[in-house]
Amino acid sequence: MIRKFFQFNWKRKAAEATISSSTILPNKRILASAGPESSVVAAAAPPTPVTTASNGMDSEDDFMSAVSSEDDILPDDDSDNDDMSDAEDFDFDDEPDPDLGMHKDISDSKKAPFDISFKVYQPSDIQRQQDELINEVNMILDISKEEAAILLRHFRWNKERLIEDYMDSPSRVLEAAGLSQTTAGPLKREVIPGFVCDICCNEEEGLQSFSIKCGHRYCVNCYSYYLSQKIAEEGEAARIQCPADGCSLIIDARSLEILVAPELKKRYHALLNQTYVEDKETLKWCPAPDCQNAIECPVKKKDLDKVVPTVACLCSHRFCFGCREDDHQPAPCELVKRWLKKCKDDSETANWISANTKECPKCNSTIEKNGGCNHMTCRKCKHEFCWMCMGLWSEHGTSWYNCNRFEEKSGLEARDAQAKSRVSLERYLHYYNRYANHSQSARLDKDIYHKTEKKMVQLQKESGMSWIEVQYLNSASQALQTCRQTLMWTYAFAFYLSRNNLTEIFEENQKDLEMAVEGLSEMFEKPVTELADAKLKVVIMDKTSYCNKRRIILLNDTADNLANG
Amino acid sequence: MALCQNRLQEERKQWRKDHPFGFYARPQKTPQGVLDLKVWECGIPGKEKTIWEGGLFKMTVTFPDEYPTKPPKCKFVPPLFHPNVYPSGTVCLSILNEEEAWKPAITIKQILLGVQDLLNDPNPERIKRVVRENIAP
Repeated sequence: MIRKFFQFNWKRKAAEATISSSTILPNKRILASAGPESSVVAAAAPPTPVTTASNGMDSEDDFMSAVSSEDDILPDDDSDNDDMSDAEDFDFDDEPDPDLGMHKDISDSKKAPFDISFKVYQPSDIQRQQDELINEVNMILDISKEEAAILLRHFRWNKERLIEDYMDSPSRVLEAAGLSQTTAGPLKREVIPGFVCDICCNEEEGLQSFSIKCGHRYCVNCYSYYLSQKIAEEGEAARIQCPADGCSLIIDARSLEILVAPELKKRYHALLNQTYVEDKETLKWCPAPDCQNAIECPVKKKDLDKVVPTVACLCSHRFCFGCREDDHQPAPCELVKRWLKKCKDDSETANWISANTKECPKCNSTIEKNGGCNHMTCRKCKHEFCWMCMGLWSEHGTSWYNCNRFEEKSGLEARDAQAKSRVSLERYLHYYNRYANHSQSARLDKDIYHKTEKKMVQLQKESGMSWIEVQYLNSASQALQTCRQTLMWTYAFAFYLSRNNLTEIFEENQKDLEMAVEGLSEMFEKPVTELADAKLKVVIMDKTSYCNKRRIILLNDTADNLANG
Repeated sequence: MALCQNRLQEERKQWRKDHPFGFYARPQKTPQGVLDLKVWECGIPGKEKTIWEGGLFKMTVTFPDEYPTKPPKCKFVPPLFHPNVYPSGTVCLSILNEEEAWKPAITIKQILLGVQDLLNDPNPERIKRVVRENIAP
């Protein structure tokens, strides 16, 4: 069923890939790639799975996708513009960069299909991007920078749409964004005779007051307290409105400068940066604790069923751009979500159900036997049956309790049906146990990794090897962890696969990788004295590179097939 | 705290100077006979030409220490049967929600008028009470 779903829009993807190939940024600062072996060159090329997506489709699918691709290319093009509105950064020329084409040729043969291009931005880059956009709008529309910022936020940083709409009807746009059309003089604290603050009802002489363009005037204390409350307690920044009831004017950054303490300004700007990243579909924060970087990746939400956009932040945290979970190649996000949910709901319960209950042969309600008698009456459908043989109770006659009618027909049928319903549960448990096992092993391997560091130092002392020479342990441990992570998700993935030839290939790949990983894991736990042996070192290094290669092969294969449907 | 007391005193002054017809609002008296500015007893008349006409609905308004930064809590005593009123009598209204439309400049008069409007114009998106018979068994 899932496979069918994947097939559905493979061609649309192909169309997008051609678009995205021309949207590679000219001023890339950091360019990184998910694949372990890929270079910067490889990462700059568009995702390749699409280029190989043509054979093996049956005509019905072909027809379906042809329709959808023609319908969808134009809107897609549009949304491309929406998402990447900063024309400064994005080049929409139809002709791709000349050397990009060259890379493409190389990448077809060299680049792994599961790699995707992405960029890591540090906080300063995020600030700079916003400033550039604000300056641009500020110049084009002749409005203040603060107002430009508010407008851009209102339009979710889609500059083109902002300018277009603004040209259409400036007043409507300003009103919707929470800006006033009046051009008042510079805003400042003022002392107005006879003024009473509506919030604190203070009417002292010489009370300083403030208002934004709407003219709702409050004393400076109340105003700044209101702002600090919004910023510090509620974490609001982009849409703080005037304190008056029903007034939707937004308080801009300059007014805020006049009113609040410096440490709050810092928080305010941090919150603004946050809304910038959250507003843009192509940007996401790195979910690692204490990491302040954001990642830009052109993969769209609707493509997540056929690419697994794994990205790696500068902080070395690897995660999926689609759902921000930890790296879950090769399983697509939707499956991961379903799997995690299923595991959360099911695993323990399912185990218990499997061990302690049977289903009613008639209505399939799950029944736990809580008394000694084998004469069961289903509470739901009132079906009477024998717990031992699952057959009709009436056929037991008076020979009840000693169930001697094992060969009875109805009992046989009931057991058959029961077996069938158990099979699906057992199938799930099969995959779940392996998934959980790898997940646990990955955790244990991580512990070993910490021990490895000690081992490496020890090894240096005992065998007189240099620091460089013991690095193979480090790389082996890393390979072990990434491979386990991948293996873990292959089981979740396999659970949702239907049985066919491709699945067999997948399972072969999986088996191969698993054997290699277990082998490596075993060698890894040997005592230091044995590790010092030069022969073992070579074996470990061989095994490490073998594991890495098998992992890439597995991922390549899966990515290809995912893209092909 | 001082801000809260000041503001409530002023609200009281303003209310006595002028308030909408049929309404009442006054701070509660503690058992010792002292005015407690932070708990008000209010009455809201039902609007004319609605099913609420002729009724006077009693509501207790409790102000937190953080008032007017945070909104007061409004509770019908006794509880009143209305989709936007919890079974406890607490009113669910956007201007009474700190995360929504509460603004420090909203006065008691505005709150009471807002609740009066709500009586005959319930908000289907924030239903807090359902008629039991409508729930499938």
